[in-house]
Amino acid sequence: MRRIIDNDYFIMLGRLILGGVFIYASWYKIIEPGAFAKSIWYYHMVPGSFINLMALILPWIELLVGLALIVGIWFRGAVLLVNGMLVMFIIALTSAIARNLDIDCGCFKAAESATSSAWETLIRDLIYMVFSVPMLFTRSRRWMLVGGKAPTKPATPQSAALSG
Amino acid sequence: MIREAVILVALSTVLALGINLVSPNAIPYVGEYREIHTGDGPIVPPEASPGDPPFIDINTANMLYTTDQAIWLDARIPEEYVCGTIPGALNISFDYLPASDEEMYAQFDSVLAGVAKDDPIIVFCGGEECEASLHMARLMQDDLGYSNLQVFYGGAREWKRFEFPVERSDECVE
Repeated sequence: MRRIIDNDYFIMLGRLILGGVFIYASWYKIIEPGAFAKSIWYYHMVPGSFINLMALILPWIELLVGLALIVGIWFRGAVLLVNGMLVMFIIALTSAIARNLDIDCGCFKAAESATSSAWETLIRDLIYMVFSVPMLFTRSRRWMLVGGKAPTKPATPQSAALSG
Repeated sequence: MIREAVILVALSTVLALGINLVSPNAIPYVGEYREIHTGDGPIVPPEASPGDPPFIDINTANMLYTTDQAIWLDARIPEEYVCGTIPGALNISFDYLPASDEEMYAQFDSVLAGVAKDDPIIVFCGGEECEASLHMARLMQDDLGYSNLQVFYGGAREWKRFEFPVERSDECVE
C-alpha cells in the first residue's frame, strides 16, 4: 500500500487528473456566477444570504487548488481542500438524491444543460477520491515546484539505530 | 497543511470578491433569496395540459430573477404592463396580437430581438384569473419554435403580494 501511495507516477497522474478537472469545472462558474448561484439554490442546502458568496468564492478555490496541484505549490493545503470539497460535493449529492430532488449538479456546465445525473456525478466524485485520499499521506514530492514538508517516515529500527 | 489551505482560501476570496467588482457578469455579494412557503408548489391552472411548458412557483421565479437567468415576458395589455411589472420584463400582449401571421412574427422579432429560440423565457400575466400567459406560452412553443419556456402563473399579483421589486413606467394612467 505504502508503495502505491508514495509512487511518483501515481501521484503525478492524480495531480493531473484532479487538477485538470477542478480547473475545468471552475471555468464556467467564474464566468457565469449567476448560473452557478442558480445551481446552488436548487440544492436547498445553503441559506439564501450565503448563496451568492459561495457562488463567487468556491470557483476560485477550485481554480487555485487545481493550479496548485498541477504546479506543485502549497501541495498539502491543496490536497486538504480537494478532499474537503469532494466530501462536501458527495454529501450534497447524496442528500439531493435522498430528497429526490431533480437537480442538475452544477458541476461543469451552465445549469440548463443537465449532462449527467446526480448518481453519475456521485460515482465520479468517489473515483476522484481514489486519488485524493492517498495524496493526503504521500511522501512523493517529485515534479513539484514547492512541495512543502512530506510526512515524516515512520522510524524503522535501522534508522533509529543510525540516529542513535 | 492547514496554513497552506488557509492561504489558498484567502487568495481565492480576495480574487473572487475583487473580480466581481469589475466583471460584466457580476452578481450582488448577498443575494435576496427569500423562501416563501406557499405550501402547494407552483400554481397550475385547471386547463393546463401535459404538453404545456413547466409552471414555476414564486420561489423559483424569484431565484431566476435574482440570478438573472431568464428573460421575462409580460403577456398583459400594455396599459397594465406600464403600471407595474417585474423589472426588466418585456411586453407582448396576447390580447392585442396582430391578426396576420406576418405582423405577429414581426412583433416577436422586434420585442425579442437578440433572444435565441432556446433561451430561457418566463411568461406571466396578471395572476390566477388571467390565462394570457398560458396561451402565450403555448403559441410560442407550438407555433414560434421557442423551446425553453416556463410559465409563472402566480404572475404580477403574486409577485407584488410578496413585495418583490416592481417596475412602473411614467406612462401609467390609473
